[in-house]
Amino acid sequence: MSQIRLLVDRVTEALGASATPAQVEAVVRIMLNEVVATQAPPRPPRAQGTAERGLITAYGRDQTGILHAITSVVSEMGCNILDVSQKILQGNFTLIMVVDLQPMQGSLQDLKQRLDAVSAERKVRIMAQHEDLFNAMHRP
Amino acid sequence: MSFDIPEVLDTLQMIDVEHFDIRTVTLGLSLRDCSSRLPATVRARVYDKIRRTAAHHVFVAEEVESLFGVNIVNKRVAVTPISLIADGATPQDFIALAQTLETAAEHVGVDFIAGFSALVEKGTTAGDEALIEALPEVMASTERVCGSVNCGSTSAGINVDAVRKVAAAVQRAAALTADRDSIGCAKIVAFCNAVSDNPFVAGAFHGPAEAEAAINVGISGPGVVLRTVHEVGLSADFSTLAEAIKRTAFKITRAGQLVGQRCAEALSERTGTPISFGVVDISLAPTPAEGDSIGAILKAMGLSDVGAPGTTAALALLNDAVKKGGLMAAQHVGGLSGAFIPVSEDQDMIRAAERGHITLEKLEAMTAICSVGLDMVAIPGDTSVDTMTGIMLDEFAIGMINNKTTSTRLIPVAGKGVGDFAEFGGLLGRAPILPVSTIHNGPFANRGGRIPAPMRSLTN
Repeated sequence: MSQIRLLVDRVTEALGASATPAQVEAVVRIMLNEVVATQAPPRPPRAQGTAERGLITAYGRDQTGILHAITSVVSEMGCNILDVSQKILQGNFTLIMVVDLQPMQGSLQDLKQRLDAVSAERKVRIMAQHEDLFNAMHRP
Repeated sequence: MSFDIPEVLDTLQMIDVEHFDIRTVTLGLSLRDCSSRLPATVRARVYDKIRRTAAHHVFVAEEVESLFGVNIVNKRVAVTPISLIADGATPQDFIALAQTLETAAEHVGVDFIAGFSALVEKGTTAGDEALIEALPEVMASTERVCGSVNCGSTSAGINVDAVRKVAAAVQRAAALTADRDSIGCAKIVAFCNAVSDNPFVAGAFHGPAEAEAAINVGISGPGVVLRTVHEVGLSADFSTLAEAIKRTAFKITRAGQLVGQRCAEALSERTGTPISFGVVDISLAPTPAEGDSIGAILKAMGLSDVGAPGTTAALALLNDAVKKGGLMAAQHVGGLSGAFIPVSEDQDMIRAAERGHITLEKLEAMTAICSVGLDMVAIPGDTSVDTMTGIMLDEFAIGMINNKTTSTRLIPVAGKGVGDFAEFGGLLGRAPILPVSTIHNGPFANRGGRIPAPMRSLTN
């Protein structure tokens, strides 16, 4: 970090007082790209056994095949369903599904996009969220 | 099932129906290592540092947003008070430096960058003076840069000379942005007892005693509290009401803590430098959306409108219960932490002001028990600097004596008077112009010097 600063200072001095910050940055970036790879440090691997679970919630007018539509997406993404709870009250259904995200093929974003497609087609609200939110709010 | 259906639905209702969101995830960034006697070097260092540290800020916040399905309304950056890193600079240098902040903010994709600030509660340096002088031009020539001046504190008293200069700067900013209802003033906050880890723009800055970089989170959720108050009903006593608000505040603060921690971890990974998680600011911040309103909560408590007798007590109960509930839920609480009552950003406050049910004087009383001050208050454009100085001194005296943060974000709307509306758009909303007392205060406002720091015992 301090070396980058030194570089910025040197470039600033070399370019003189009329240099704009953008010019300085451009020069520094060219130099940096030549010297070092600029990729972000790799993410540390998650500790073994850490739970990565998501909650998929759906609610809306009850209709045939809605559970199938959602579970199809989930299994196609390679997620393991850990628990399902469904209730139907006065024609409205509520579904809560706990899924294991560890074996998932693709990102949570991909899963959400595919669930959004089901949501639009079936006119029900479907959300996928990391379980930590619910742990934080309801399991202090 | 590890979660009960009612619990899960409770959270989803907050998010889906009641506008529960994280109001802001603000990256506080020290620029203390950017100072130099050469203005061009300062600019280059500032630009470089913001680009390097904040480049992934918005991306990371969006990732966390998606992970939890909780909306983060604002992703912003707060920096070291600029007067500290460029103390030898001229007003022109400060204007150029503000342009650099603007460009850097634009390039990292944040809508506001705060910290074009000076801390002058005891006295001003040449650099502080130059910064205050540059304020109007900076507010008119930039869109994203927000400034603040801390003019007083409980331990130092009030720097009246500085208050007067800021009042004049606000008037000048109003004139320079006359074509947009003086919106430049919406980016200038004057403080007494300013806090250094406040994540809420426009008054945010990353204080000189803060870490190299920190993520501070401002939670929100007036809509969630409103539902709670409705559910408690009108027949419940105050103890029951306070208890219910505390429970709700606990839940939303936990969500804030979680989001802040995740953002800090992810940003540390991305940038390769440790970025700590600072504080959760437990504030109820309204938006112009219907129902996302502090005024609505006060009304739900049993007042026919904001401004009815009992309003200050209702706000005190609300503010205190939110803090008590939130304190237990977060590792570190800081920032402003209290209910915000910006007049232009809260539908029920706007309506009450329009009906004449809240006046500047009632707002002043309300700010004595909540954060953060006379916020987004539109006043007639022809209000004199003397009058503005007086209003600001009154507000700061409340903060100084009560050992709390108070502030003013007054907008003397150029060319408009009582009965008109100032239209700011977006989250800043719209405000009816409130009447201001015109009783003459010239000799007092021009006296100059400092109001001495108050004693801390015999506090009646």
